[in-house]
Amino acid sequence: MTLSGEFLAFMSLAIVAVVGGMLLLNLTKVVHMVLGLFFTFASIAGIFILLSAEFLGVVQILVYSGAITIIMLFGIMLTRHQDEEEQPTVGAWKRVLLLIGVLSFGALFYIGIYGLDFGTTPAALHVSNTEQIGMALYRDFVIPFELMSVLLLVALIGAIVLSRKDDGKEAEKQ
Amino acid sequence: MVQDLLHSSPGLANFGIFFLLATVLLLVILGFVTYGILAERKVLGFMQGRYGPNHLGGRWGLLQTVSDVLKLLLKEDIIPKAADRPLFIIAPVIAFAPSFMVMATIPLTDNLQFADLGIGLLYYVAISGMSVVGFLLGGWASNNKFSLLGGMRAASQMISYEIPLVMSVLGIILLTGSLNLNEIVAAQEGVWFILLQPVAFVVFFIAAVAELNRVPFDLAEAENELVAGFHTEYSGFRWAMFMLAEYVYMFAMASLITVVFLGGWLPLPFLGFIPGAVWFALKFSLVVYILIWFRATFPRIRADKLIEFAWKVLLPVALANIFLTALIKELLELF
Repeated sequence: MTLSGEFLAFMSLAIVAVVGGMLLLNLTKVVHMVLGLFFTFASIAGIFILLSAEFLGVVQILVYSGAITIIMLFGIMLTRHQDEEEQPTVGAWKRVLLLIGVLSFGALFYIGIYGLDFGTTPAALHVSNTEQIGMALYRDFVIPFELMSVLLLVALIGAIVLSRKDDGKEAEKQ
Repeated sequence: MVQDLLHSSPGLANFGIFFLLATVLLLVILGFVTYGILAERKVLGFMQGRYGPNHLGGRWGLLQTVSDVLKLLLKEDIIPKAADRPLFIIAPVIAFAPSFMVMATIPLTDNLQFADLGIGLLYYVAISGMSVVGFLLGGWASNNKFSLLGGMRAASQMISYEIPLVMSVLGIILLTGSLNLNEIVAAQEGVWFILLQPVAFVVFFIAAVAELNRVPFDLAEAENELVAGFHTEYSGFRWAMFMLAEYVYMFAMASLITVVFLGGWLPLPFLGFIPGAVWFALKFSLVVYILIWFRATFPRIRADKLIEFAWKVLLPVALANIFLTALIKELLELF
């Protein structure tokens, strides 16, 4: 592996992504955690762009910057400003089990990624990337795509119905 | 020139050249912001029957903004004791950085552009959405009720108005068949898109004013309701960063409207002897003037009406526009 610009860019993005994830887990205030998440998502978008999936990278930012803002709003509305979480104490056995879990997860992913085979047919994925995605989604896989959107709609309406039910009962009580 | 650079092989020399060019662009934008603020105050003065700044730097007050900025830089940097210190410091940076990032894709003339992205339009919308995280963080980190309210308003406004903003340009993307800003300008060789897509233009302009947090949609920084909004606790240079972000967005949004709807650097018929840069500057100045004009003439909208307007008026209109555009395009292709 030689030291090229791409390598440097990848390393810095990867470090920001990993550090963001670590901060998300280790910080105690909700808004700080969400900021860690924000940096992780932004650098993952950068990695997409490095892989010349520019459409995916930009959509990642478009969707997740909005999503992050909303998570942050919930974080602000549902917690007090100086609220800090207490660290629960973890027993020795639990630590050992946790270590085994993390190691096996890492090993599985290592094996999985190295054993992955996409086939060797070269595809010009970076040429008019957006058009290719559009063709795949709206020409070759229209029905699965539409099914996904119907599923999302069902989830949305389901959430509204579930949250409405409680209101009705409370209104009846009063 | 820039096109050749973009296709050359990466190296330290090219990195240096790009760094230098970006610095020049930053200085140009700072120059615009300096005189944009002065122009805003002068036009507001003209519309309200008064003079505006006219003391420092000759009859037109040409050095007024310079001295204002100098004052801001010399001010004491105050961080409130109860504020969340790290977030308070990082928030103006998060708000400002994307505003300069979006400038990279905007083609100022046919050969003056920094990055020729295939998805330039989408890139602009996506990156500009990142700023609101900075506004919200600043509001929260200040630990002040008014700041938090301002930050919340900024966030809710961004989430509602980004959707009509994207939906309204879809009609243009349908007509062009590309998200590339250069190709959008090239498609306006015959007729500008403001004539082909007037509904899209109106929706886009309203949503753009809302995205810029300007009157009549300046609820996030309504002085007489929230003291100042998300930057109430900020002073000196940190406050200047927020203001700078706002005016750089004004520059970027006016450029984007020029590129997408007013034909970019393309001249009017029979006037092709005037260079493209001049045409771009003229159209750009017109858009900025209209934005300032709005500020002088419109009252602020109430918060609930604002969100209702985005969802119940702008979004259906934008969707109908997409439907109609697609229908007409297909019908034209049939015959």
